[in-house]
Amino acid sequence: MISIDNVTVGYGTAGFITAVDGVSFTIGSNEIIGIAGESGSGKSTLMRALYGDFSTGLRIKSGTVTGRFTDAATGKAIEKPSSQFRDLWWDQISYIPQGSMSVLNPLMKIEKQVVDGLPKRERGGSRRELRARIAKFLAGFGLEENVLDAYPHQLSGGMRQRVLVAIAAFVNPRLILADEPTTALDVVVQKKILLMMVEIQRRLQNTLVLVSHDLGVHYQITDRLVIMYKGRIVEAGRTAEIFANPRHDYTRNLIASLPRLHGQRAVDRVGAGA
Amino acid sequence: MHLLRFIAGRLVVYALVIVFALTVLFFVPRLGPTDPVEAMLAKVASQGAYMDPAQVDKLRQSLIDTFGLGGSLWEQYGAFVNRIVFSADFGPSLSMYPTPVMELIWNALPWTFGLLLSSTLIAWILGNFVGLLSGWRPNSNSSRVMEGIAICLYPIPYYILALVLSILFSYVWKIFPLTTTIRGAPWSWELVSSIVWNSFLPAMSIVIVVFGWWVISVKAQTSALKEEEFARYARLKGLSDGRILTAYILPNALLPQITFLALQIGLMFNGSLITEILFDYPGLGLLIYTAVLQGDFNLLMGTISLSVIAVATATMIIDLIYPLLDPRIRHR
Repeated sequence: MISIDNVTVGYGTAGFITAVDGVSFTIGSNEIIGIAGESGSGKSTLMRALYGDFSTGLRIKSGTVTGRFTDAATGKAIEKPSSQFRDLWWDQISYIPQGSMSVLNPLMKIEKQVVDGLPKRERGGSRRELRARIAKFLAGFGLEENVLDAYPHQLSGGMRQRVLVAIAAFVNPRLILADEPTTALDVVVQKKILLMMVEIQRRLQNTLVLVSHDLGVHYQITDRLVIMYKGRIVEAGRTAEIFANPRHDYTRNLIASLPRLHGQRAVDRVGAGA
Repeated sequence: MHLLRFIAGRLVVYALVIVFALTVLFFVPRLGPTDPVEAMLAKVASQGAYMDPAQVDKLRQSLIDTFGLGGSLWEQYGAFVNRIVFSADFGPSLSMYPTPVMELIWNALPWTFGLLLSSTLIAWILGNFVGLLSGWRPNSNSSRVMEGIAICLYPIPYYILALVLSILFSYVWKIFPLTTTIRGAPWSWELVSSIVWNSFLPAMSIVIVVFGWWVISVKAQTSALKEEEFARYARLKGLSDGRILTAYILPNALLPQITFLALQIGLMFNGSLITEILFDYPGLGLLIYTAVLQGDFNLLMGTISLSVIAVATATMIIDLIYPLLDPRIRHR
């Protein structure tokens, strides 16, 4: 679906600061792929390049990010570099931001924020029918219909994050990118939202790219995992295999840093030479 | 229930503010050394009329009666409150005796209100529009030019700008009238056009000065809101610039501007002073000016009370409608 070919991404127009350095991998259809790494590892920059969000001085210096999609209406194949993904936003591709208080417009009711940006194919029918469909969709997320008439400040953090997931999923896209979607939430709500995201992916048979620094999150839901460190991919493969048999020292450190319920406490390997 | 309590509380505060202000207004002139009755008598005497002392005493007594200055301070205060609250009567004007103060105010009010309300609104709308666009595209040439103009205009003292306008456009180039003379039968086209023609220059002077301030403040609002996460999210949804600007940035940028607008409208009675003197415009400002120059206590009381009530009312209205504009402080 998306091939990333030896791509170098960074910031600045005069001087160039490299954030992602010569990265290659492919994202297939119908899979959940995780991108993990510490702060500053380049995972968020890579995600922005994948989404095609080239604002605030972000640019691709070399290499290509190419997407292949099928137009839902005409059935024609679309092939575009990520710099032109803007045409596909909220149609083929949607996005789940990290849900802070200010991601949703504080002066707009939730219903309007779901509808705003929807592609034509999902808008069909009268406003009443559309509202009924959205209400039914939200019910699948454990959200009642009155959420549609609420303003963002009236919802809890967990509800807001579920709304954000619902907004992105209601578009019925082929690709969803999620940037730290559960970072600000407690573990119970986090689990609920992760399960929802898996369920949506299985139902839509589309692709979910999940960026998170939390390996626990990746372990729970991703099929494949890409581990980034200092702008490069240090390890990539099936999630289960990486956890069973980590090859790179950095990956081992990351896994060792997870809290364990049984067995011995892992040796402190931080700084043991990555 | 919550809402009713909120409105009731707000109305009580409103009433208290006005009562307090009127009380201060009542006591402050009476603590001063000037005595309007003696001033009036001196004025009569200065006109050269001879009066025997008995007559002067009679005149003094009748003046004390009409000015409401008889009895102790507390009796005067009671009578004052009674007059104002129950009949909105500030007594006769001392300088334009015996015309009642209220009549003078009612004659002047529409002029001031019309001039200042329209020019404040025009400046507000223009300023918000320009500020919004230049905050949205801070690096475009047009936005730089507009901001430059705004920054140049904003610090000019109002009276200088008004004088320059007046000299340029009604003395050097005799386009607009130097003083205000309204002609025409009531509700005729001639009257309307005469009002617009005569008010144009004073209105322009206000618009120009206030415009710069609005541009600068809205521009700052907009460029801050543009970087807010919800604006970024809206952009990543693929929404058009126009949609983001009108549905996401504008409503959020306007909230504080509406508060400022209400305060401006409240303050406009004071602001009209210089405008009306410079353009010889027959409004409240000119009335206040006359009242001060002639030591007309009643008229001064009337005009200042009105301006206090206007500010208090504007703030109250904003407090009451703000929850309708901002859902975050809505009462349920």
